[in-house]
Order: sequence, then C-alpha cells, then structure tokens
Amino acid sequence: MSTPVSVLVDATLITFVFALAALGLAVIFGLIGVINMGHGAMLTLGAYFTWFATTSGVPFVLAIVLAAGGVCVIGVLLEHLVIRYFYDRPFETLLLTWGFFLVATEVIKIVFGTDLRTVENPLPGAIDAGVFVLPAYESMVAVISFALLAALGLILFNTTVGIKVRALAQNAEVASLLGLNIGLTYKWVFGVGSFLAGLAGALISPMLSVDPYIGNIFLVRSFFVVIVGGIGQVLGGTLIGSFLIGGSETLFALFAGQVVSQTIVFALAIMVLRFRPSGVLRAR
Amino acid sequence: MTEGGIKRRGVVTSLGQGFLRSETTVAIVLFALLAGLPVVVSGYTIYILPQYLLYGMLAMSLGLLWGFVGILSFGQAAFFALGAYAMGLSETWGLGPNPAYVGLMASLVTGAVLAAAIGYFLFSVDVRHVYFVLVTLALSIMVEQITVSQSQVTGGYNGMYVPRMSLLTGASGALSLSKDAAIYYFILPVVATVYSLLRWVLARPFGKVLVGIRENEDRLIALGFRTPLYKTAAFAVSGAVAGLAGALYGTHANFVSPSLGGVLFSTQVVVWVAIGGRESLLGALLGAVAVSALSTYLSALIPNYWQLALGIVFIAVIIAFKGGVAGAVMRVAERSAGRKEHG
Repeated sequence: MSTPVSVLVDATLITFVFALAALGLAVIFGLIGVINMGHGAMLTLGAYFTWFATTSGVPFVLAIVLAAGGVCVIGVLLEHLVIRYFYDRPFETLLLTWGFFLVATEVIKIVFGTDLRTVENPLPGAIDAGVFVLPAYESMVAVISFALLAALGLILFNTTVGIKVRALAQNAEVASLLGLNIGLTYKWVFGVGSFLAGLAGALISPMLSVDPYIGNIFLVRSFFVVIVGGIGQVLGGTLIGSFLIGGSETLFALFAGQVVSQTIVFALAIMVLRFRPSGVLRAR
Repeated sequence: MTEGGIKRRGVVTSLGQGFLRSETTVAIVLFALLAGLPVVVSGYTIYILPQYLLYGMLAMSLGLLWGFVGILSFGQAAFFALGAYAMGLSETWGLGPNPAYVGLMASLVTGAVLAAAIGYFLFSVDVRHVYFVLVTLALSIMVEQITVSQSQVTGGYNGMYVPRMSLLTGASGALSLSKDAAIYYFILPVVATVYSLLRWVLARPFGKVLVGIRENEDRLIALGFRTPLYKTAAFAVSGAVAGLAGALYGTHANFVSPSLGGVLFSTQVVVWVAIGGRESLLGALLGAVAVSALSTYLSALIPNYWQLALGIVFIAVIIAFKGGVAGAVMRVAERSAGRKEHG
C-alpha cells in the first residue's frame, strides 16, 4: 500500500494542509508581531461556520467564503476592541488572544453544542494517476493552499500595498512618519490574517470531525511552522516550516508510531528555535 | 519597559511593605482557620478541600514564575501530571519499603530535573519569551499524548488507579491516610509549608534577583548576575512544586488520567493565577481554591456560561487589573492606610 511514491504524495499533501493552517498566523504573527494564541479558535470558528452553512443548504464553495468572511469580521472586531491598544506590548497580546480563545471556545459550545459535527466532503472521489492515487479533495486543498501562498507573495512583493505592509513590519514608526496610516494598515493585516485562518478552518473541516477544540491541533504546530520557517518569511518560510512540522511527520511515521514521530518533530522544532531562532532559512 | 513603568512599580513596592506583613497575617489566619475546619464541618467539604489546596499549590508554582520572574509557563499541568504518574507508578510497582515516599521524592525530582533541563536549554541562549511559552505549551501536549499512547504503563485514556498513601507501613502497623480527615491533615501542612518556603525564598537575595529580572534583566546582567542560572533555578523550583502537588493529588483523588497534563488544564492554572493575583503567592493559592470551588458548584448549574464568564474576567484582568484580586485588595488597603496617615 505505502509505496515510496504514495508516502511522498501524502507528505506533500500534508505539507500544504499545514501551510494553509499556518498562513493566517504567518500574516498576523509574522508581519505585525501579534502573538495570536486565538489562531486555533479562528480555525475552529471557520470550521463551525462551514458546518452551519452547509447544513443550512448553502453550497460548499459559498459556505467557505461566508465562513472566512465571518471569521474576518470577528478578527477585525477583536483587533478594534482590544488588540490595537497593545501593538507595542506583544507579550500582552499573547494573553489577550488566549483570553479570546477561551471566550470563543465557550461561545462555540453554547451556540453549536459540543457534539462532533461532520462536514460532508464535497469531492469524495480520487484521481488515479497511474503510479499513485490522489484523493480529490485533499489535492484541491493543496492547490488552493499553493495559490494562496503565491497570491500572498505577489501582493507582498509586487504591489504598493505590499510595500506598505513590509514597511510597517520593518519599522512602524518610520512608516508612520512617511505618511502611512499604521492604525488602518494593522487593521487590514489583522483582518486578512483572520480571513485566511477562517478559510483554512473551513477548508480543513471536511477532513476531520469538527469539535470545539479542533483548532488546537494546529495552534502549536502553526507557531512552529512560522518560527521554524522564519518569522516574516511568508512564502518560502511557511512552505519549509510546514514540510518540517507536517510533512516530515508522515516520513517519521513510516518507522515509528504516530505519537513518537510527533514527539520527534516537536523536539526538532524546539531545537530549531533554540539554535536557529530566526528560522532555518536565515543564517542567523 | 519604560522609565515610567519602573517608577510606578517602585511606588507600589514601597507601599506594598505594609501589605507584605498583612499578607503574612492573612495567611496565618487562613491556615489556622483551615486547620480548625474539620472540627465544625465534615463530609464532602473535607473530602474536596485538599484537592483545591493542591490546585492552589500548582497555582503558586506558576505564580512564582509568572508574577516574580515574569516568565509565563503553559506547561505547569505537565509537571503536575508527571508527579501524579510518578506516584501512581511507584505504588503500582511497590518501590521501596513505602512506595508513597518514593513517589513523592520521584515527583519532586522529575519536576525539578525536567524543568531545569528545559529551562537551561532555552534560557542559556536567552530565547524569546514567546518561544518559552510555546515550548511549555508543546510540553503539555507531548505529556498528554505520551501518557495516552503508553497505555501498558499508564493505562492510556482510562487513566490509572492510585491508592491512598500510608505514612507508615510494615510490621509496626500501617498509618493509612484513607480517611478524608487524615489526608486533609497531611496535605494542609504540606501546602502551608510550601507556601512559607516560597515566601522565604522570595524574601532572600535570590528572590530579589528574580524580581530584578522581571523589572530589568539587562540591568542585572550589567551588574554581573548570571540571569540564565537564576531563571533556570526558579523554573526548577516551580517544576518541583508542581510535581509534588501532582503526586499528592494522585494519591488524594485515587486517580490519574492524561487530561491532567493537557493544554486545557494548563490553561486553567493560568486563569486561576491571573484572577487571584500573579504578584502574590497567597493570591494565586486563593485564586485557584476559589475559582475551582466555584467551578465545581457552577459547572452543575451553568457549565458553559460559567466558563465564558471566566474567559471574560481573564481578559478584563489582563487589560485593566494586572494584579488580579490580590492586587486590587492591596490597592484598597494601601489607600485606606494612606488616608489614616494623612488624617
């Protein structure tokens, strides 16, 4: 069953799922330095919104857009009410976003209940490529994930908006002296990050059973992806980080149990953040 | 930290001198009342109180770290669970003449050594504060998953039975703590002792250095203090206290399960300490006792809304009341004391 090719295919697909899950964090944590511990809750919200929309008869494609939009609105509200006062104190944002996680999780339990929910897979089939078989939905998610990464890279490095955001990430004070409305830019970046987190939760929801803590699976891993890849390296960093955190687990799982391979991956991530704190891409 | 922040903190510390004395008074009265409690009440209260006190001990282990050194750990539950498993395994394997003492020692050593190893590994290169939080969070996840997967040793999801410990065993007869009042009078002095020891340590020069690290680590480095060693030592003490609390919890509850080490329980500890007051050990202790007692009571009535309210209170504490309840009480006490002096 598990030929070398199929293992590689699995590792690739998982790498892209992890990249997708981490993308919102790469934007919020990587670009504007907010330690968003509510990232997992944003994924969970995206998944629940998708479940709610699809069970209400909304077509899947529209449902994921609505879900991402909903999470974006919640994210912008959070930014507007709380986070914007704390950009100069990143450690407080860790605690505040953790508080957001606590509140969001309980609201989810109250509104949607604690039972496991399932979102029907919109593309159940598989693509037979001869030597290996590609699960259709996972492959589509990988393509979307790659497209989002590419789009984000294009926006960051080839547009005026991107220049403004990078200026803000590099030096907020100078950027504001040069006439950039930093309050608004922060809000935009936070909104886009929330949107991406919601979209990731929405796209991942058909692959797993949805419960109020589903996002937590990805919380620490997403942080490791961003840190191991290198904070601020949205494009290459996220991909390399995702491979090291997600894809490599599939490879380790060939030789060891799942828990052991995951422990190895965590240990490796901890090694990286001690010895290469600015990520594997940078020399130091 | 800004100059203004330090100045403000300086005023609070000097005003806090009176409160330090009054915190000791409050603590003595409190522990005396708790010691007398089984005379007046019995039943469920006496059964459950030691458990809350052990949560309080776990909260103190975080309060020491977060409130006094300024390092936040999301992994205290991991040490707690490891301590509880150490106790359970020691009893299961029947180590030594009295496995309970081996278990208690093992829990202390496991907590201290693991925390020291992680602490030195990270502090010696001065990793970002955020990275430390993430590593401790990952530690919680790993402990939970490993205890689930190693089911032949730990019992997996179903958890593991831990017998009530005995103070003495053997030919001279056993002195078992299986009665609720008996274990109450064992755990209460342990918690009181740990509280006093921690207060003592914090009053020593060592404690002053820890607070100095919180206030301005660069200045301490300039003064020649090797701050990574101090931080490592503080984390080791914190791990040992959490581990010991876990071992006692295991033998009191007769049960250990993987969720004891999980992220959700670690979160609870942070909430207790934030609400109780991170800059006061008594605040952390009482925060844990009060919040977990209320949780037991209200979870039956309004489970989700209670947790929601806790989350909102947590956010409010972080935004507006950094000192939690203890800090607010201190401020009120100072204000009334100040009024008396002026009037």
